[in-house]
Amino acid sequence: MRNMLKEWIEGHITVTIRGKRFERLINLAVREGIHIWNIVRVQEEVGRLDILISDYFRLRPLLRQTGCRAHVERREGLPFWLIRVRNRAGFAIGIFAFLIGLYMLSSVIWKVDVQGTHMISEYEVKQAAEKVGLKRGAFKMNLKEPMVIQREMLTHLPEASWVGVEIEGTRAIVQVVEKEEGVKKPAQGPKNIVARKKAVIHSIFADSGKTMVKVNQFVNKGQVLISGIIGNEEMQRTSMVSAGGKVKGEVWYVSNVSVPLKQTRYIYTGASVNHQYLIAGDYAVHLWPFKAEVYKKAETSERRIQPSLFGITSPLGWKTETIHEMSPQVKSVTRDEATDTARKFAQQDILKRAGKDATIKEEKVLHVKEENGKVTLSIHYAVIEDIAMEQPIVNIPAPDKPDATKSN
Amino acid sequence: MKRWSRRLHRLAVGVLDLPQDVVLEVPRITMIGHLQMYIENHRGVLSFSEKELRLLLTKGQLIVSGEQLVIRAILKEEVLLEGRVSGVKFVDQ
Repeated sequence: MRNMLKEWIEGHITVTIRGKRFERLINLAVREGIHIWNIVRVQEEVGRLDILISDYFRLRPLLRQTGCRAHVERREGLPFWLIRVRNRAGFAIGIFAFLIGLYMLSSVIWKVDVQGTHMISEYEVKQAAEKVGLKRGAFKMNLKEPMVIQREMLTHLPEASWVGVEIEGTRAIVQVVEKEEGVKKPAQGPKNIVARKKAVIHSIFADSGKTMVKVNQFVNKGQVLISGIIGNEEMQRTSMVSAGGKVKGEVWYVSNVSVPLKQTRYIYTGASVNHQYLIAGDYAVHLWPFKAEVYKKAETSERRIQPSLFGITSPLGWKTETIHEMSPQVKSVTRDEATDTARKFAQQDILKRAGKDATIKEEKVLHVKEENGKVTLSIHYAVIEDIAMEQPIVNIPAPDKPDATKSN
Repeated sequence: MKRWSRRLHRLAVGVLDLPQDVVLEVPRITMIGHLQMYIENHRGVLSFSEKELRLLLTKGQLIVSGEQLVIRAILKEEVLLEGRVSGVKFVDQ
């Protein structure tokens, strides 16, 4: 029936009405469609009612008609409130100024945080940020999109591989991911690549320098394979470089292996005995059995129960030791099996001697001898392996005597 | 003629089961305890004071007596009355 919000927005007043024909006034007003409420009879000939401001002006002819007089008692609602605000303009301006100030201050960057820097100094990052406009006191509205800032900052920070910008309220967070420094090759002086072993060249690739040997050529230990001196020697215009490259050569090895024909192995018999110990501090007290069979050959395994909490181990504990009996078993192998085993051993041995990346090209059993229950083999191997070795050029040869390095 | 129409009204109320206030132009009064009173179908305020409200009806008057009576709202045919109601009385002309 009543709309409080409408009453407040339009503004309403409380009117005291003095007059004999108060009821008549109410009836007339209601018939006119004037909205009135909270009607009270205060005294004889005095009544009070609430009315909207707009309706109050329509009420006035009726007052004249009924001979009543109205006196406004109280004013309420938005129009009156606005008048009050106008009367206290300073106060109102203060509130607005505060709100605007708060808004302005919250739209300013107050802090630039840099995260994730190790090698780059924070100052450097902040300077890069300043160049693209991201600094303390900058307006957020004037800033570009974070993505754009990121890209521009990255051009100012060559040491960073990624820059992330995030604006969180009045704080700008700059995250920097630094470039991983690659492993730099140590500065190299002039050097040659020489042969490490006597070999026949299998392949030769020079990264820098001049190849001095050809494929299938026999080289001695220490012979220059790739020379660090390049240029035309006749014209006496040479320069020195750090020679590098890959040289593979065929190296011959002879391996002598002997394998016994009878081999003794120990196997479990299945018999075992448990020994119980009480651990107290550093000591283990043997509890039982008191008397146990002692095996000739045995293997022991143990299990400890020692409670520990938060890294502190209790001094008391329990130990169970299990002793398994073993018995020897002699196995005799045939000569062929022994030879196979010997070759396997020989191959492993050769590959160890040749270094990694070595491959066995050829294998030849030279000699098989059986004596004293052993088979002795002599096997020849042709192995392709890396034979390059660096050798610095110490005595800088005069350009007119280039052979000085060659004879090394 | 008037007699006929009244009979017709009575008939309508009986046969069609209509609420009487709709047809007979008598007030419909809703009370919430003695605190609030809602009166429909009145014909105007005759007198109003803190202790008594007299309403004109189509036939006769309605006298509401009580204390601290306040008309919370008033429309052409409706009145919402608040206060401590102690008595409601119908008076024929």
